Amino acid sequence: MSHHKLEVKDLHYNYPDGHEAVKGMSFCIHHGESVGIIGANGAGKSTLLMLLMGVLFPSEGEVSVGDVHVTKKTLPMIRQRLGMVFQDPDDQLFMNTVYDDVAFGPRNYKLDENEVEKRVLQALELVGILHLKDRAPFKLSGGEKRAAAIASVLSMQPDILVMDEPTAALDPKSRRRVMDLLGSFKHTKIVTSHDIDMIYGMCDRTIVIKKGEIAADGATSEILVNAELMEACGLEVPLALQNCPVCGTQK
Amino acid sequence: MSNIMDSLYNMRLLDDLARQDTVIHKLHPLVKLLATVSYLTVVVSFGRYDIGGILPLVIYPVMVFTLAELPVKPIVLRILLVSPFIIGIGILNPFFDKQIFVLGDREISRGWVTFLSILLKSGLTVTAALLLIATTGMDRLGSALRMLKIPRIFVLQLLLTYRYISVLMEEVARTLRAYSLRAPKQKGVHRSAWGSLAGQLLLRTFDRAQRIYEAMCLRGFAGEYNTGGFGKLRIGDWVYLAVWFLFFITVRFYNIPMLIGSLITGVIR
Repeated sequence: MSHHKLEVKDLHYNYPDGHEAVKGMSFCIHHGESVGIIGANGAGKSTLLMLLMGVLFPSEGEVSVGDVHVTKKTLPMIRQRLGMVFQDPDDQLFMNTVYDDVAFGPRNYKLDENEVEKRVLQALELVGILHLKDRAPFKLSGGEKRAAAIASVLSMQPDILVMDEPTAALDPKSRRRVMDLLGSFKHTKIVTSHDIDMIYGMCDRTIVIKKGEIAADGATSEILVNAELMEACGLEVPLALQNCPVCGTQK
Repeated sequence: MSNIMDSLYNMRLLDDLARQDTVIHKLHPLVKLLATVSYLTVVVSFGRYDIGGILPLVIYPVMVFTLAELPVKPIVLRILLVSPFIIGIGILNPFFDKQIFVLGDREISRGWVTFLSILLKSGLTVTAALLLIATTGMDRLGSALRMLKIPRIFVLQLLLTYRYISVLMEEVARTLRAYSLRAPKQKGVHRSAWGSLAGQLLLRTFDRAQRIYEAMCLRGFAGEYNTGGFGKLRIGDWVYLAVWFLFFITVRFYNIPMLIGSLITGVIR
């Protein structure tokens, strides 16, 4: 299934003020993979996501989805295949009702209204908030907003799900629910987060970014336990792998 | 600050009302838009001394209120919000237009009549506009405007402005909350902070608007604000439109209160 492949080759990006946020990144993500992208604040994670989605265009190098390069011409097609869930669901939800918000994407692709309805109901049911379809998004709780934001992307039936901090600002139960939900998807997933435990539980592969470069790329089970590497990149090993703070038992 | 959040909730009240399922709500948005536009045209077409002729037009908002089962109080409160502007416009009339007008055995200044006429007309037009939004919703109204071939750039401006008001208000509420927590003894914002606060607010709103726009683009937005299609006009829609058209035309060309008055006085004689 090469058409679900996402490939980044020698990617560079400079901000207008001259700051080089991404310096020569290359990787390839295959169909069905769950990839966590981690790094300290300012490492270049969000810039990388913006480059993948074609919100920013690289100064050098290229991003391709399947065999199609991300360019201005191919954007509509690329964005139908890559769905992005924003860090702050309030940025994503702005229509009158949850239903209209989830229908926003499919309607933009001029789908028949019956098909739109089918997709919206399907997406809402999948994330478990069908009962909220007529509510105004700004009246929802944090977890419900997150679920609505995920549904608004799922309704476009993307091949690849890109998520920026999907568990940020959620209470433990909502966080667990979102993790279970994301774990149940068969999509190719790319997740950036500071929630290392979530990455540990959800992603098979992890890419560590440090100062705009890839510091490590490999199996999550190997990378996240490497305390030296994590320390050098401004990160920590997952809490689940740290020694018990009460009895001091070593993991 | 809580006032701002209250206003935000209140602002969305019209959207909430628009989601009801009454006879009026079920009508095609285009029909409601055309009926409202013709109503507004007829109301403003009356001369400034012709209060009697306008009175029957009160029936339209009363009917819509009743059939759409809308709460009167919140909508009247919104009408009162604009009343200071209207009074400001009309209050000088009694001083400038001092010609005498005879009503029965009383003499009143014509200025007062024009002032009353301005109040009545503005009250009716604002009510009609609010009723249109409360029974249709801004999104569906936007689609109706597009059906009338209004250029999409104007419709988009209207809809996005309406949406971004709440974005701006949320930012204001957050900023003021942060300010008030660090300035507990102040009432409001000190003038020394006005400039930086307004500047910050503007920049943050730009940022937020940019992110919202990006989120829209990522979901295939290409300049057209799609709010779902509507079915064709049904017989009920045509009947609704025809009845109101007929009523407005009748009211415009026949002074109904006068006719009723002369009928009654004729009978008494």
